[in-house]
Amino acid sequence: MTAMTGYDIPSSPKPGPRAWAQVLIAETKSVARDTAGLIIPIGMPSLLIVAQGAGPSQESVPGTGGRSVFEVFLLPLMLVMVISLIGIVNMPSFLAMYRKEGLLKRLAATPANPAMLLAAQVATSLIQTVIGIALALALSAWMFGLSGPITLWPTIGAFALTCVAMYAAGMVVAAISPTTNAAVAIGLITFFAMGALGGMFGGSQNLPEVLAELGRWLPYGAGVDALQHAWLGKGIPWQRLLALTLATIVGAVSAVRLFRWAR
Amino acid sequence: MDNIDALDHVEHHRGGDGHSHEDGQANENQLGSNPPMIAVRLHRSTVPNRDGAGLVPEVMVSNDDGRHMWLSGVEAYRRLMTKIALEVVALRREYRSKAVLDGIDLSVSVGETVGILGSNGAGKSTLVETIAGLRRPSSGTVRVCGLDPWRDRARVRSILGVQLQDAVLHPDLTVLENVRLHRSFYRHGEQPDQLIQHLGLTDVARTRTQRLSGGQQQRLSIAVALIGRPRVVILDELTTGLDPEGRRSIWELIENIQANGATILLVSHSMDEVERLCDRVIVLDKGRILGAGTTRELRDQTGTAHLEDAFLKLRTQDTTPRRPA
Repeated sequence: MTAMTGYDIPSSPKPGPRAWAQVLIAETKSVARDTAGLIIPIGMPSLLIVAQGAGPSQESVPGTGGRSVFEVFLLPLMLVMVISLIGIVNMPSFLAMYRKEGLLKRLAATPANPAMLLAAQVATSLIQTVIGIALALALSAWMFGLSGPITLWPTIGAFALTCVAMYAAGMVVAAISPTTNAAVAIGLITFFAMGALGGMFGGSQNLPEVLAELGRWLPYGAGVDALQHAWLGKGIPWQRLLALTLATIVGAVSAVRLFRWAR
Repeated sequence: MDNIDALDHVEHHRGGDGHSHEDGQANENQLGSNPPMIAVRLHRSTVPNRDGAGLVPEVMVSNDDGRHMWLSGVEAYRRLMTKIALEVVALRREYRSKAVLDGIDLSVSVGETVGILGSNGAGKSTLVETIAGLRRPSSGTVRVCGLDPWRDRARVRSILGVQLQDAVLHPDLTVLENVRLHRSFYRHGEQPDQLIQHLGLTDVARTRTQRLSGGQQQRLSIAVALIGRPRVVILDELTTGLDPEGRRSIWELIENIQANGATILLVSHSMDEVERLCDRVIVLDKGRILGAGTTRELRDQTGTAHLEDAFLKLRTQDTTPRRPA
């Protein structure tokens, strides 16, 4: 063990890819070892989607190749609801817990940067969410005879874009929340506000036009619309793609800029 | 360090005893009292030294008329030894209009261990967190190896090892995983396995952090503070809550780090800890320095026999004028 007494202070001492990989590995191990944290991302999608599918929504919608009301209208809504609940409420609470316990303060004294922590959080949470949603879809296909999307790759693309947009919003919540309770409160308010404007409590056509249009530009409404179009083999409106892309960029940049290491 | 080749007007002086002047005598008028170092280089000496390599350091300084000159031998070693690692000038930190730090002046030389003594709420943790770049000064300046820890955050963090009182490590990761994680943040550093062995944590290397004893957790927090081979180490109340055996074992560890030449800023409540480990002590109260010096100087200054008495007397004589540490 030696103490460095030389004169060479690196001019650009930013951690390299090895550090990013180590943070991701550390986060993955922590998640895998704290199994209670897996219940929401793995279990909740199945619970919500199966509960909706079991309702009176199996009538087929004309002009959709025999697809049910559940598949055409409810499934995209439920998928986006699951992504946003986990991305905006569940994921940020872990980072807020790290902040409250002083783990982030410890990292703040090292050359680690906020982007690598946020990216590791998003990556590990996203993996859990994808597993949870894949399980829920497999269960729905088995129980309700889900036909699946008419165009697979655009649907996967719309799903992926919705995920990153929603997680970008969640990153902002994670960046600023001093405690777990604060993260849950800010996350829930954001979730319900975006959900209400995006048609979570009934069609957005029931809202005043200004609010409905605002909802379509927010990640929840844009995600539902994009998924619905892609699932039915229709082209995704460019406005929805633009809205999701903008939300991703604005969210990610704001999160890194607003990130606080300590409470 | 600055690019030596780019500097003009360089005079090279090397006397028989290694002083700055050609005739071998230091000329204070020419050099000023302690001019700042501009560059350092290794020079191959014609006389082999102890390590057999024959390399000796030379230090470039600027004299009063702006010309640069190289110093070697004893003078070069003296300049290297007295290089300032930490400098705090007129530091003030306010929180909701209340001064938590009120005009702190502090200078710590390379290789020196300075203790910060004070009761709860004295501003000790705020001071070290400001030095570490975790808090922004309201006014005044802080320099770590010449760098501003707030503006040059990334560079300062690459040369600083910090153990904070209220900061924790990943509870679900093992000792080895935590050390490896922190090692990955630095370009240069210690080998995790070797450091763990050195700190006596080999038996618990694969144990999760949350299952470690208090002493083991403190050793681990010291390990991650040292993993990047820091030039300056900040240790904030590292033995608080440990039993006597645990404290002594941590003290031996710090003495080991000192022997390797690290600059240490040690925050403590404990008089015996400061007396044993620190070259100098500053006494902090209500964000102000009440006294500074060696433990003997503090005792002499207050006319007391023990450091604890000196500390208490300084606190009761709060009218003592502030003096730089």
